[in-house]
Amino acid sequence: MEEKRIGVYVCWCGTNIAKMVDVEGVAEEVGKLPNVVVSKNYKYMCSDPGQDLIIKDIKEHNLNRVVVSACSPRIHELTFRKALTNAGLNPYMFEMANIREQVSWVHTDREDATRKAKSLVTAAVARVAWHEALDKRKVDINPASMIIGGGISGLTAALEIADAGKQVYLIEKEATLGGHTAHVDLTFPYMVPAAQILGPKIKRVENHPNIEVFKEAVIEEIFGYVGNFNADIKANGSESKSLEFGNIIVATGLKPFDPSSVDLHGYGKLPNVVTSIEFEKMLKAGKIETKDGKEPRNVAIIHCVGSRNNDYHEYCSRTCCMLGLKYANQVKTALPDTNVYEIYADMRSFGKGCEELYDATAKRKVMFLNFDQREGIPQITKADAGDCCEMLIELKERLSNTQIEVPADMVILLVGLEAREDAKEVAHHVGVSKCGNDFFIERHPKLDPVATTTDGVYIVGSCQGPKDITDSVAQARAASARVLATILQKSVEVEVTTAVVNEDICCGCQTCVNVCPYTAISFDDEKNVSVVNEVLCKGCGTCGSACPTGAIRSRHFTDQQILSQIVGLMTTEMQEV
Amino acid sequence: MEEFKPTIVSFLCNWCSYTGADLAGTSRMKYAPNIRVIRVMCSGRVDPTFVLTAFKEGADGVLICGCHPGDCHYHEGNYKCLRRYHLLQKYIQQMGIHKDRLRLAWVSASEGKQFAELANEMTETVTALGPCEIKEVMETLA
Repeated sequence: MEEKRIGVYVCWCGTNIAKMVDVEGVAEEVGKLPNVVVSKNYKYMCSDPGQDLIIKDIKEHNLNRVVVSACSPRIHELTFRKALTNAGLNPYMFEMANIREQVSWVHTDREDATRKAKSLVTAAVARVAWHEALDKRKVDINPASMIIGGGISGLTAALEIADAGKQVYLIEKEATLGGHTAHVDLTFPYMVPAAQILGPKIKRVENHPNIEVFKEAVIEEIFGYVGNFNADIKANGSESKSLEFGNIIVATGLKPFDPSSVDLHGYGKLPNVVTSIEFEKMLKAGKIETKDGKEPRNVAIIHCVGSRNNDYHEYCSRTCCMLGLKYANQVKTALPDTNVYEIYADMRSFGKGCEELYDATAKRKVMFLNFDQREGIPQITKADAGDCCEMLIELKERLSNTQIEVPADMVILLVGLEAREDAKEVAHHVGVSKCGNDFFIERHPKLDPVATTTDGVYIVGSCQGPKDITDSVAQARAASARVLATILQKSVEVEVTTAVVNEDICCGCQTCVNVCPYTAISFDDEKNVSVVNEVLCKGCGTCGSACPTGAIRSRHFTDQQILSQIVGLMTTEMQEV
Repeated sequence: MEEFKPTIVSFLCNWCSYTGADLAGTSRMKYAPNIRVIRVMCSGRVDPTFVLTAFKEGADGVLICGCHPGDCHYHEGNYKCLRRYHLLQKYIQQMGIHKDRLRLAWVSASEGKQFAELANEMTETVTALGPCEIKEVMETLA
């Protein structure tokens, strides 16, 4: 067996790690471990000079294994694996110890933190000693793409990819394309009709030779991995059809918050309290009128219904403030004598042309009334017969610090936006994670906002979080570019951290066949052993822990590697006791 | 005698719990420094041998975390883990290890706070129990 020569690098991460962990001490201590040839500490291991340090050492000291003790492997494992590749080492001869997210940022005692860091690095050294070179597998990319959701995001992405000459399968749950945008009258801030934006897109998608649209479609199951997905789709209640594609763009959108649970607003009880969705319909029909067909003389627009409120959703729904301003303008244009009240918690008119719309609205004699959500939300009650209005809205106006009553014949609730009920199902189908609010999580919030942790799966538009048309379209085009770039490469490297059966030890009990969630293990009747289909195996390792004889190895998470890691963790602990 | 600081070996699944633990870090939540994390792709990978080895090597507690039921990245690995956990619980108790030293919990990628609280709770429980029952025996054998 070759001599194990390990290089250990302890990162300061500026002061992020160094202020809570004695990085020099850790590097010195770990340097005494068997097989460790060099042990260094450096300010920023992920920087170019940091990586060069590793590459230089690999060559100079003939290292064949590397441990970097820094941030979470979820952040920089790939960075360092690439550095190893650049130095001519197999990228899997690398292990990372997480001493930032799981040590320096969460602990307050420098001595304890340092002790923990030592123990984690020792464990990583013990583990890496058992690492073995793994080859990446190259797979061809199927140039077709599947887009889930036919709203503005899905349509945009579909056209972008189809126009580049690639096949698109567009899957829509409803009977018509367009999503929420189809129900919008004018768009903010420039008051362009949504139909003008959406109509031509839908028409082009429906007639595009490279786009196949599936309406009223249900995805039965998606199998495969980047470059080689396949799915059974049932559309219009007809027989299910099998599709093959290389990339997936998820554009499933969101849904409006149901304000029935907000008692003080009286939605569902007072006939002229309507949601923004319902009011939008009125605008589209060209008639702003109360339930009994009268023109409202007072229209109140209440902001943040279900948003920025810990009883409902903590987050801001991003689009409602501008929607409210748009409504005020539309009401003022249609009914110039009607009084309009914007009852808001905070006016968030960020973005191009948006603050300008706020300014223009204010000049149209719209009354802006501010309330503090922490002190309660506006209460809507039916007015008395003697009052010259339908309803009264009671609130404490923050700027004047007075309790006031606002007359209203119609109240528009700017309802927040929330994840769809089927988000969980979709997440499961495509293998993406959800945040606490059930929106899908991007790979990196700033540096990789449309990719996900599953290769070949992208998220665009409001399924990732509330968004307006502008941002949704930008994301759709970004994801399309990513997909087209992958298609252009024709092939992609995939992880090979799959399971493998040692036929000499396998006793043929078939326990693994039963526990595999991907039916990736079959039984060879002739040889009387289990066989792993590496294309189907996703490397979860559950077969490895079920195998009674130890015949199954979960590559890169072998028993030997993890057991050594445990022993490594405990050796430092036992020494210190 | 020196204050007893337990060591808790923790197995976290890559997709939910490890990300949740990272989130506790990015959110700068503070918790007890006794948890030592080992990352596995899925809680279904946690071989009973791993847990027993941890105790054998001197761990005072073992914490396994996976995705919430229904949320497993690999569909059902966490259920497999749950079954093994119940068997392991019986097994460790027969070895004289207190049941509270082994815990299985579900932590999602967004539950940084829950992870921090869990780490504190587990540390408190194990500190109260004192050094693991088999530690002395293992040391004698070694």
